[in-house]
Amino acid sequence: MEQKEGSMDKENRAFEPKIIAFLCNWCTYAGADLAGVSRIQYPSNIRIIRLMCSGALDPTYVIKSLLEGADGVLIGGCHPGDCHYISGNFKARRRVAVLKTSLKEAGLEPERVWLRWISASEGAYFAKTVEEMVLHLKRLGPNPLNSMWAI
Amino acid sequence: MASTENRSEKNTRRESIEQFLYRLLKEGKVDAVLVPKRHPGGNIVSPVLISEPSQIKGTDPLAPVQTVNAASIVKELVKEPVDKKIAAVLRPCEVRATIELIKLKQLSDESLLIIGYDCPGVYNVKEYMHGIENREDKEAFTEEHIHDFLSGDGDLVRESCRFCTYFTADSADVDIAWIGVEPPGIIVAARSEKGRRMTGGMNTGDKDAPTVRKETIGKIEARREKRQKSGIDNLLDLIQPCIRCYNCREVCPLCYCKECLLEPEKMGYTSERYLSRAERKKQIRMPVDTLLYHLTRINHMGYSCVSCGICEQACPMDIPLGTILHVFSKKIQSLFDYVPGRSRDDELPLTTFREEELSEVEDV
Repeated sequence: MEQKEGSMDKENRAFEPKIIAFLCNWCTYAGADLAGVSRIQYPSNIRIIRLMCSGALDPTYVIKSLLEGADGVLIGGCHPGDCHYISGNFKARRRVAVLKTSLKEAGLEPERVWLRWISASEGAYFAKTVEEMVLHLKRLGPNPLNSMWAI
Repeated sequence: MASTENRSEKNTRRESIEQFLYRLLKEGKVDAVLVPKRHPGGNIVSPVLISEPSQIKGTDPLAPVQTVNAASIVKELVKEPVDKKIAAVLRPCEVRATIELIKLKQLSDESLLIIGYDCPGVYNVKEYMHGIENREDKEAFTEEHIHDFLSGDGDLVRESCRFCTYFTADSADVDIAWIGVEPPGIIVAARSEKGRRMTGGMNTGDKDAPTVRKETIGKIEARREKRQKSGIDNLLDLIQPCIRCYNCREVCPLCYCKECLLEPEKMGYTSERYLSRAERKKQIRMPVDTLLYHLTRINHMGYSCVSCGICEQACPMDIPLGTILHVFSKKIQSLFDYVPGRSRDDELPLTTFREEELSEVEDV
């Protein structure tokens, strides 16, 4: 996700997005752990929730995060072929496709939901992902649902 | 064809179907029949489980009213294996929901014979009651409705039926076809191995044979396709009236979870939470989480939704749920080229996957 700095307005520059991350126990969570123990610096905008598998994530939790005002949701799973449960990540991808389709149709912003494959050895990639996502969300601005009360 | 035998005794398609069901039960091909039947009051027609052949009289699957999606009844009826054979006479949307439930392993279908039929659509139950209440000849109401169906669908027909293009029961074990057949004729056709086995000798031909049938179906499909909406541009406004009564979940044949995570106790609604949420957003709508509720239902049911519209009929706030679910489901199902209930062999989208697909949803 290449982003251009120039178009970001002042207000958004000051805005610190809040990201809820649902990470699989075997790959991405371990990758986040590696980023930590390797002392790689990355933005503190992320709140991590550990799951046993990305395929175990019910879309309702992603929707709830967005409706309650999270600016972004990161779903992290194992690379294709590496799933601890063989195919959970492929099934997660189908769920995310359904989720994004429904968000788009509902007039909400599917681009606030990211799905990435990050392995246990990719601490640096995890840190880079958070950086990229923060930048992306700063450009996108605060989640409008955060100020909507009638939903 | 059945249309030629005993014609003098038959006056309506309803009676032809009645006769077929009577023989099915009388000849011991099945032990019970689940079929819409007119209640003693004369107005309401709803599914009745009949075990005595003489009680088949008065059944009327073509009556334009659907009190429940009968797949819910089938699910309840054969939730465990039974040693009696049951024929369920179902509308196409009910056939399709039943097949989804079989695939979801929610019912035991070994002893179940699914009989489908060409469906002329239904009125919402309120409109139906309004229309039939003061009628002397209740049966004529059904006949008039069939006439309306063939010539263009009345305005009062349920919205989901007005845009439904799956009004023939192609995936049933046995299909009762009447569109394009000279009344009161019907064609009974076995569509599966089980259908052939259980109705041996009672089949009356290939329902796809008459060309006039194909033409009529094509015309109805075309006019209904035109009524389909391609998008919903104001979902948030449409669901504003929702009081989260859970009616749509209760009547949905495919909402099968024994424990629902949308239950208030699962959602953790405490006084403290309400107040902290109100504080965070300055104010919060009560009851809360209506959008969450509907989006979750769309995500959970979307790939299997058969667009029967029973949710819309059950909604006390007149939210156009049938249209909403149809638009969302169609988009979700097209991701996987899936048509719910089309075939028992199509894998459920969320139980399978392809290694190379949907790369557009990965953010790499």
